[in-house]
Amino acid sequence: MKFTLDNIDGKLVGIAELEGRLDARNGKSLKKIFLEWLEMTPLTVFDCSRLDFIDSSGLGAIVGCLRNALEKEGDVRLAGLNAKVAMVFELTQAKRLFSIFDNRDEAAASFAATAGSGTGQ
Amino acid sequence: MKTILVFREEKFAWAHEAFPFVHPLLLPLCNKPYIEYPLDLAILAGSTAVRIVCDGRLDAVESYCEDGSRWGIDLSYAHMHPEDSDEILLGKNRRFCGDERIMIVRGFCFFVYNKRFDYKSEAASLPECKWAACPAGGSITLYGAPVTPRKDGKDAPMSIVPLDGMANYYRASMEALETGADNYVLPGYGVEPGCAIGRNVVMSKSVQIRKPVNIGNNVQLLGDTIIGPSAIIGSNVIIDRQSVVESSIVLDNTYIGEHLEVNGRVASGNMLNDPVSGASIVMEDPHLLSGIRESEILSTLPRKLTHALIALLFIVVLSFPFLLFAMLLRIGGLWKSSRIECHSEKPGKTISLDNIELDVKKPLGAIAAALSMDRYPMLFRVLTGQLSLIGSTARVAEAKHPNTPSSSLAYRPAVFSYAEAEEWPTTGGDAAIVERYHLAHSNAAADVGLVFKAFINNFHKKSSA
Repeated sequence: MKFTLDNIDGKLVGIAELEGRLDARNGKSLKKIFLEWLEMTPLTVFDCSRLDFIDSSGLGAIVGCLRNALEKEGDVRLAGLNAKVAMVFELTQAKRLFSIFDNRDEAAASFAATAGSGTGQ
Repeated sequence: MKTILVFREEKFAWAHEAFPFVHPLLLPLCNKPYIEYPLDLAILAGSTAVRIVCDGRLDAVESYCEDGSRWGIDLSYAHMHPEDSDEILLGKNRRFCGDERIMIVRGFCFFVYNKRFDYKSEAASLPECKWAACPAGGSITLYGAPVTPRKDGKDAPMSIVPLDGMANYYRASMEALETGADNYVLPGYGVEPGCAIGRNVVMSKSVQIRKPVNIGNNVQLLGDTIIGPSAIIGSNVIIDRQSVVESSIVLDNTYIGEHLEVNGRVASGNMLNDPVSGASIVMEDPHLLSGIRESEILSTLPRKLTHALIALLFIVVLSFPFLLFAMLLRIGGLWKSSRIECHSEKPGKTISLDNIELDVKKPLGAIAAALSMDRYPMLFRVLTGQLSLIGSTARVAEAKHPNTPSSSLAYRPAVFSYAEAEEWPTTGGDAAIVERYHLAHSNAAADVGLVFKAFINNFHKKSSA
């Protein structure tokens, strides 16, 4: 998982690249490392364009990250979901919790367009 | 009039990949196998004999359709080469054709027709021609001289949609659902227009049904589920609590987990397909989406061993009370024993069980019943693997309620029932719900706890009665 910080109109936005599979094996490590990222910024974009597979554990991890971000008045926004990953978000109705964008640039820019805290669309 | 239905394997190869557990010609379309639609069309067109010709295997189709007697036609099967033209087919099947008018229906296609029109007189009166065709290769061609003159000039509607992928399969199913029994011959009980429900469908009171819907046989709809509009639910399906199925097809033997929203999808076993994008995912979470299949040795072995060990424990602990109560109750005439034939776990098979009736009005009988003494002999059947320790209440074998392969998926006769463990009613639809839920979710460890729960609940119930 690669994490970079971008300055979008004066706001620090973290971009996390999720790759391969997100399941029970690496869901916990995402939640753990996300707490470190939160120390840097509460605004995070999960770039899922290279994420091939997600299961309910992985989904739980992402929802857990969102919960942590909201507690810090931040947000987690998703970008570049492929059709298969999007289907899991739709099936489980998790898409209602997140703002989802076509690509990471749009997602990052959306933080500049709104006030610091974000809410799901 | 006779009909030859011609299918080429390469045309339905996609269906083999997408739905590997069913022959493409038996793929459910709305609520009946695909092959029945061209058969219905042939019958509507006045055919008395139909031959299904394919360049691939037809064993599964043959065992489903048999000799066609259920449709009142003579049905036969033949093999062909992929490149065989109509002329070659007519030559190869000339004994079948005789000197009758022949209709050749080609392609793995959905035929859009309306059963209310008179296809018989139209097929009999048209000259040799292509009656209908689509660019993707489906066609209906008539050979031989017209049999009768045309009665009226009203053309019966007829068009062909090739089933060349998930998108058209989805559209064709929805077309059959939405036009429903008005245009096609569909099975199921029509409660009201737009709503057909099969046999043994159990639904909670809080389930919402939004028309049009088509629900197959042996379906379990748990609390607060919303089905429809435009939902096709196959047979042997469980939709778990608070899930929504809308504009979707849920094929046979599929479990849909709790709190899910299936919208515009085709779900089959643990596979979820998007007919628009063509994307499909194989679910690895059994609690999201999973296939319901007959138990396999590897998965049942730990369960059977656990059940046998716990049954042995019960046998040892209850042996002395059993001997004592059996003797005393027999002497007092409070113990009546007989044999009953019940359905076995295996489809079509029965098992002979001891049926012990205790007079619970007498204190001794009530104590024996509270200690489940009436079930003691059944514990030995758990050791031999004929019964489970916990599962479904054993059903008495009756000819009018046969134990078919499909109904046996949700049936595991046992000494104690899941309904007893959960303090639910032990008969009827409520029992069926809880038993089916646990049969889908249970494992050996969970069963141990539920067995003791059922025993204790039974003790409290019988001792307080």
